[in-house]
Amino acid sequence: MFLEKVFSRGKKEKEVIGDITKQIKLLCTACGFFKTALETDNLSLMRQVMDIERAGDSIRRDIISRIYEGAFLPYLRPDLCKFVEIVDNIFDLLEDTGYRYLDLKLPEQLRGECIQVAFLNRRICEMLLITFESMLKGEDLREKILAIRIYEKKIDDIKLDLIRDARKIEITNFWEGEILSQFLSCLTSISDVIEDASDHLQVIHVSMK
Amino acid sequence: MKVKEFMTTNIESIDHKRSVYYGIERMVNRRIRSLLIRFPGKEIEYGVITARDVVFKVLAKGIDPKNIIVSKIASKPIVAIDQNMDFKEVAKIMEESNIARAFVCDQDRIIGLVALMDVMSATIIAKARGEYVS
Repeated sequence: MFLEKVFSRGKKEKEVIGDITKQIKLLCTACGFFKTALETDNLSLMRQVMDIERAGDSIRRDIISRIYEGAFLPYLRPDLCKFVEIVDNIFDLLEDTGYRYLDLKLPEQLRGECIQVAFLNRRICEMLLITFESMLKGEDLREKILAIRIYEKKIDDIKLDLIRDARKIEITNFWEGEILSQFLSCLTSISDVIEDASDHLQVIHVSMK
Repeated sequence: MKVKEFMTTNIESIDHKRSVYYGIERMVNRRIRSLLIRFPGKEIEYGVITARDVVFKVLAKGIDPKNIIVSKIASKPIVAIDQNMDFKEVAKIMEESNIARAFVCDQDRIIGLVALMDVMSATIIAKARGEYVS
């Protein structure tokens, strides 16, 4: 009940909540674009992920400004800002992954596992949105956060297989290998940051009880 | 939630004439708990061996795993399910057949594996997403 009161009080608060929801929804869209671009090897769609990142950046700036213009009680502001920053880090990581993809020729034997990770990244983002919406309603988050952890664990398992399969690929040029390694590392780190974001939601949730 | 969304694609198959020791090596290298065993025939038939089979049917009986071939301890036929099956249906099949893992098929091709842990995880996720109806 307290949470509902905190989040639905004033106009500024409502705007901030609306923008955070928009930011997470945009992240889901970016992850969806990324997955489709990877599936179809569509470079122009991959470039749209970068455009979405810029839109996400602009939403982040608006949210932070509104918060420090007086939305929410002062003790809540740093935690909300931190959450928004973590979500922005996910955008950055997704953008970096996209840039690496544009720079490399992904070996076909790795594409299937990469698509699976991209699919799970999309799913885990949707789960972050569900968790955030549940927090606004003052619901228990344990089940949702456990689901995020399960997704993250699943991606970790695929990461080990990806590394094993990547070792079998013959690399003839240093940068070719370096960029492939960075791509795989970025792709499989996205879920770690989403998990951090969900943990932070739990912190906000608990701190307001 | 459909099986193909949350199955494990890390599967390995070996020929039925390979030794159990070779099978153990494959399981350790790939960090998996079961292996598909290929039997010859008009169409390839599959069996399965698990870590449980290796321990109970070979190691606990003092048999040298280098001196026994996997076809001697493999279970056949395997339980195969469609990739579009729902996890609730899979749980029912696993309970009825008293098995801990089922192989996932895309028509005639085996493309993945679903173990009890996957069923449990998928059920928790479906519940968290609001898709689960008991």
